[in-house]
Amino acid sequence: MFKLSRKTITSFILLACAAFLIYSLSPFFRNSAQKTFKPQLTLIDLLKREFGGIIFYHRNMIDSGRLKYEAQNLRRRLFDLREVEQENKRLKNLLSFKQKSPFRLVASRVIARSPDSWSSSVIIDKGRYNGIRRGMAVINAQGLIGRVIESAEGSSKVLLINDPSQGVSSIVQSSRQEGLVSGSLGSNLIMRYLPIDAQVSVGDIIITSELSRVYPKGLLVGKVISIGKEFSGLSRYAVIRPAANLSSIEEVLVIIP
Amino acid sequence: MRNFFIFFSLIILATLQLSWPEGLRFFHVKPDLLLVFTVSAVFYFDFKVALAAAVLAGLLKDTFLPAEQAINTVLFSIWSYAVFRLCRQISIENNYIRLAIILIVAVLNNIILGIHSLNSGNVIPAGIFLRNLIISSLYTGAVAPLIFKLNKKISA
Repeated sequence: MFKLSRKTITSFILLACAAFLIYSLSPFFRNSAQKTFKPQLTLIDLLKREFGGIIFYHRNMIDSGRLKYEAQNLRRRLFDLREVEQENKRLKNLLSFKQKSPFRLVASRVIARSPDSWSSSVIIDKGRYNGIRRGMAVINAQGLIGRVIESAEGSSKVLLINDPSQGVSSIVQSSRQEGLVSGSLGSNLIMRYLPIDAQVSVGDIIITSELSRVYPKGLLVGKVISIGKEFSGLSRYAVIRPAANLSSIEEVLVIIP
Repeated sequence: MRNFFIFFSLIILATLQLSWPEGLRFFHVKPDLLLVFTVSAVFYFDFKVALAAAVLAGLLKDTFLPAEQAINTVLFSIWSYAVFRLCRQISIENNYIRLAIILIVAVLNNIILGIHSLNSGNVIPAGIFLRNLIISSLYTGAVAPLIFKLNKKISA
């Protein structure tokens, strides 16, 4: 049924090669395509937000009340923490600790998501024009989101931490045990290469380690929800619930070193 | 004019696929509208037009994916050609047969993408692999009649 002539096969191979070359050798094509799609994606994002606001009015009203109450509590806690921060600064100065230069953050909106289910990425509305470059870490108010893998003039592609090709060198905050956090396309992450006798337990906080070249040390990754033994029996793994809700990110902050 | 409509539809479908509403995602998966358009283009248009649409759809999809390789461009053109050959052998007048073809192509496409991902060294749990394979393909099949209508209108 599928008997192919040499001419057909040759034209197919040529077509595939041409398409592959267009894609691989021409960042211009990718940049232009992303640029073309940006206005309508931004518009759809805006419309979705506005319609969502109207449709979910009642839920938003209840949420608003709850959040106001939470904000009051947090303001009080913030005041307490400011005191602690001041004290911390004073003590650090006393101990002559080297102060790290603070990072510059660029706020950005998520305008699109990965078009398939085999990868986990988002497109944000800021790019090279705003100083965003490939390899920069991306966070939000809750924790680590991912890293920039491609930046066009006015938009960038961010690979989320739950993508399976992503690996984040991390540590358990309490025991300083190191491991590699990688994604699994699901809502949770997996921390691998933990020794059998690793001091890790359910509820432990996972943060980025200083071994990571991409991510600054100390960014919140998530919380351990279960621990298991690898099939080989040589090491353990921990299942981590990411601090940030990766399926509904709207705003992100890009860390510019 | 028809070519312009095809191009315009591809842009609209790509935009829709990129900003697919969270509420319409079942088990965190969304349908592959561009794949359905590519395959159904073979049913309604000339093969050359369908093949050009397949290459463009694949390029659009690859543009917004994190992968460096243009795997969708190659796959979409292969599906376009394979379905064209199949259509010369069997009758595709019935919509159920067209739907079955879309479903088979969606499953095969997801199998290849999944294997490609595993082959790249990514660890994907079996549950998530099956979710992407089965639910995504079924969802793609479920939205296919809408895109059949769109293509029918363009071809008319």
